[in-house]
Amino acid sequence: MLPAFAYARPGSLREALDLLKDAASAPLAGGTDLQGCMEDGVARPARLVSLAAVPELRGLEVRPDGSLRIGAATPLAELAAHPAVRQRHAALARAAASVGSPQLRNQGTLGGNLLQRPRCWYFRGDFPCARKGGGTCYAQDGRNARHAILGGGRCVMVHPSDTAPALVALDAVVQLAGPRGARRVPAGELFVGPERDVRRETVLAPGELLVEVLVPAAPPGARSGYDKARARGSFDFALVGAAVALVLRGRSVERARVVLGGVAPLPWRSRPAEQALEGRALDEGSLAAAAEAAVAGADPLAENGYKVAMTRGIVQRLLASLAAG
Amino acid sequence: MSGEASAGAGPGAPEPWGETRVVGKPLPRIDAWERVTGAAVFTRDLTLPDMLHAAVLRCPHAHARVRRVDLAVAARRPGVRAVLGPDGPGAAIPWYPDREGKPTSRLLDPDCRYQGEEVAAVAAETLAQAQEALAAVAVEYEVLPAVTDMERALDAGAPAVHARGNRQGERFGYSRGDLEQGLAQADAVVELTTRSACSVHTPMEVHCSVAHWEGHQLTVWDSTQGVFAVRAELAAALGLPLSSVRVVSHFVGGGFGGKLQLSKHTVLAALLARAAGRPVKLALSREETLRCVGNRPPNRLTVRAGARRDGTLTALGLEALGTGGAYPASATSGLLVGDLYRCANVRTAHDNVHVNAGPGRAFRAPGVPPAAFALEQAMDALAEKLGLDPLELRLANLPTGSQTRGLPFTSTGLERCLREGARAFGWREARARARDAGPLRRGVGLAAGMWGYEGDPRATALVTLLADGSATLNTGAVDIGTGTRTVLAQVVAEELGVPLERIAVENADTGTTQFSPPSGGSQTVLVNAPAVRAAALEVRRKLLGIAAGELHAAPGSLRLEGGAVVTAAGRRVLLKDLAGLAERVSLVGVGERAPHPPGKLALPFAAHFAEVEVDVRTGQVRLLRLLAVQDSGRVMNALTFENQVHGGVVMGLGFGLTEERVLDHATGALLSRGWHDYQLPTALDAPASIDWLPVDPHDRECNSVGAKGLGEPAHIPTAAAVANAIHHATGVRPLEAPMTPPRLVALLARARS
Ligand SMILES: Cc1cc2nc3c(=O)[nH]c(=O)nc-3n(C[C@H](O)[C@H](O)[C@H](O)COP(=O)(O)OP(=O)(O)OC[C@H]3O[C@@H](n4cnc5c(N)ncnc54)[C@H](O)[C@@H]3O)c2cc1C
Repeated sequence: MLPAFAYARPGSLREALDLLKDAASAPLAGGTDLQGCMEDGVARPARLVSLAAVPELRGLEVRPDGSLRIGAATPLAELAAHPAVRQRHAALARAAASVGSPQLRNQGTLGGNLLQRPRCWYFRGDFPCARKGGGTCYAQDGRNARHAILGGGRCVMVHPSDTAPALVALDAVVQLAGPRGARRVPAGELFVGPERDVRRETVLAPGELLVEVLVPAAPPGARSGYDKARARGSFDFALVGAAVALVLRGRSVERARVVLGGVAPLPWRSRPAEQALEGRALDEGSLAAAAEAAVAGADPLAENGYKVAMTRGIVQRLLASLAAG
Repeated sequence: MSGEASAGAGPGAPEPWGETRVVGKPLPRIDAWERVTGAAVFTRDLTLPDMLHAAVLRCPHAHARVRRVDLAVAARRPGVRAVLGPDGPGAAIPWYPDREGKPTSRLLDPDCRYQGEEVAAVAAETLAQAQEALAAVAVEYEVLPAVTDMERALDAGAPAVHARGNRQGERFGYSRGDLEQGLAQADAVVELTTRSACSVHTPMEVHCSVAHWEGHQLTVWDSTQGVFAVRAELAAALGLPLSSVRVVSHFVGGGFGGKLQLSKHTVLAALLARAAGRPVKLALSREETLRCVGNRPPNRLTVRAGARRDGTLTALGLEALGTGGAYPASATSGLLVGDLYRCANVRTAHDNVHVNAGPGRAFRAPGVPPAAFALEQAMDALAEKLGLDPLELRLANLPTGSQTRGLPFTSTGLERCLREGARAFGWREARARARDAGPLRRGVGLAAGMWGYEGDPRATALVTLLADGSATLNTGAVDIGTGTRTVLAQVVAEELGVPLERIAVENADTGTTQFSPPSGGSQTVLVNAPAVRAAALEVRRKLLGIAAGELHAAPGSLRLEGGAVVTAAGRRVLLKDLAGLAERVSLVGVGERAPHPPGKLALPFAAHFAEVEVDVRTGQVRLLRLLAVQDSGRVMNALTFENQVHGGVVMGLGFGLTEERVLDHATGALLSRGWHDYQLPTALDAPASIDWLPVDPHDRECNSVGAKGLGEPAHIPTAAAVANAIHHATGVRPLEAPMTPPRLVALLARARS
């Protein structure tokens, strides 16, 4: 059951940040993740600070230079439907469109999607796991079909967000604001793996807000996409997700970003897969090489060996669709 | 249309219908408005004046002994009005009887054998207060080792779920002919082992009871499939006469077998209500429904099948392992292996073991979908080995009666299901068209099925024609969402010519309605509709007698339609204008369900045809189309029939493709605690169109309405048909259900390397 809490609805970023100085407060965006966390007892805020009326967090603009500014409170549905995003930053639009279900995309925001907590059933369940301050990762030797094949260790959860791999692949930057001022962080540096800190998933400090996401303009020859395999047609997280952003010159790949979701505790940038593509044409050979490289170093657990094959499959499927234009 | 003579459908039954005017039509539900607008009051919606809310403290361990429970602090928490622990009144009510009827546990038992077992309960002014109070209950547990994997339950040294071991009774089985000899006579033999996960009913409306005492009279509103079954069990549990217990269930949001019996929460609500002297509502949370009120047991089934070159089956064997969980519950079914195909040599053996997990309950054709998954894949593999079309292999072995029970069927629509289905589906063309290269593979598969329960022969209904020409129907049948009320009202309309909108149905209240068995086992229509028809015919007889006198016509020359009596010459008199009816105020008819046709079995059959596309890169399956061909006898209402087929098929897809209860093996904890991790199929997992084709053999013997069961046979073959289609598309045999992308992609990868 949802525990009792107080509620505040600030009208400006400054006011919101003031309210969030209180350590028992938590920001509330769409609430689609936070509510479940509270019901499961993994978040226990005494006060929710709604971001719904904070103007600085709203808006989705294409700037004159072709870059995007996306307020953190932008609903995923808006992102998924935006013509410019769909055309020039397809990876992001596709990732947003593949989140959950229509209701979740109407209610859920981009900021909340990046900052949602892990879905591991031990973390959400009644287990004092490492991520909750205990000493054990129960998934390591437990039911781990949905867990990490890469970058695990002290915690083998997988990062659940669909949009995070897309933003990393698109070289996005996030703008943060906190009690000690504002800062910019590349999307690729927003996330924290378990070896660095097993208790948190991002570099956000207590009281800090994600204000907006900046996506650079797509250079000429850019193509991007997102693909995900899930266990049912909708309403489901990625078993394996992949975001790819390419810059093509002629038939040759000049620059590649390959970022995986659902396989590691954070969006997993696969440099071996990128190297397998750069300088080569997008053909059957390079596709297969990139798919193979993407799983380099994979170390599956007892029940998730399938993710190796599935990761290859998703990378190949996505690259094939990008090759087809 | 009426018929009075006794023929066909058993002793004393009226003549079966020929053409019908109302029955069979695609008529919307008579309670559609209430359902769509939210006006319908489900038990979960019910609020009584002064009502308290109850919550249950559940054992957090998969196996533990409760040493001590201290309720004193909880009882003093704000709003708390009643508490109940293992020493409280009623806690020792015997529970979970074994096969011999001996209880294996109690209502609140200090021995907890699965995570979530009931330890104590609290009733308070609000649900939040009840839950806060639970947190204040101090319990000392002695945690014991647990076993959750049924394949380990019989290992030496496995933790004992019950003191006398982990076997639920002795191995049992069935045999005819000689299996080994049959295998020796075969030109081809296959053996395969399937595994299917535990799935959970998880109906839209959670289990819920509201209990209210008036003196020694107890009324319980319960989300149940059978008010009379719950009354009998509840009266026995509380030591009350049947007449002191009233059970009501007006609108029910699904049951699927999980609400056929009395549940602990219902008794707890009654005990707390008695202690508090106030009505008590106890609604389970979604998580509780996933733990404590039944499931479809996991199965491991090994099938051996042998046939001659021409396809004649010579042998069918089944070795079944299942677990009903921590308490006695049936786990596997031998129905299909014993009866779906003609075969001289059959042997089945069933082992049922205990594990520390929530107890099983009947779940939509208990044990049969898993058995179809095994048998129908074995038949497919056998056809492949013999170089036969899977359709031909099945057609070569059609039964005409139950070989396990030695009785002929009143009708056997299986052949027509297969032949007409194959034609409608374009089976041969589709089979030839399959795509077997590239990343997206296509294939088609079929599977057959039957259901083995002919229904409870006892049901009573009461039909009353009122002075203004409107009518009421009184029946104990619960409408669990399938349209029972509508279909039964159609029967009244058919016989009395009263428009459907002028018929009121009062149902599922043991205090005011007549006996009906639980709505389950695919029996609801075929048990109740004949009783309703008999009652309506009695009213009809009386009415025609009155009309004949007033209109100076022979009763046999009169018709009833549009709320009027019509003479042979075309004269219409509205029922309300019949002086005799006005004088009598009402005409009452009491109808009984006639006995089953002696020496015969009336059972439904089905065949499902599926076309799938498998992405071999990811193991994702897309269902392109599915055709469900059902021999359920007469289609009583084309819309509710279609609804049942859609529901059965989608639930079959859940069993086959997505649903799996997940337990942590080390602790026995439930990991799939909600609808996110327990994955029901979504709209996008169903094919764009689920086609259905009724095969009506015009069975004049089964009963007086000609209908056989539908709910379960519409569900039984689905997963097996999809499995065979996946095999056809990819060449791999998906022997584990659900056939998830993880399982399939791993199988495909293994097949490639
Ligand atoms: C059934 C279900 C299925 C789902 N499926 C998917 C899926 O397929 N893919 C996927 O990616 N996600 C999925 N989600 C997860 C997630 O809820 C949504 O993706 C959504 O985007 C979260 O956004 P929100 O606005 O609702 O976040 P909230 O729940 O409001 O917030 C999430 C967290 O972020 C914090 N937060 C929110 N905004 C800010 C901000 N601007 N600054 C600082 N902190 C902030 C909150 O305090 C909270 O801790 C699913 C969720 C559910 C319940």
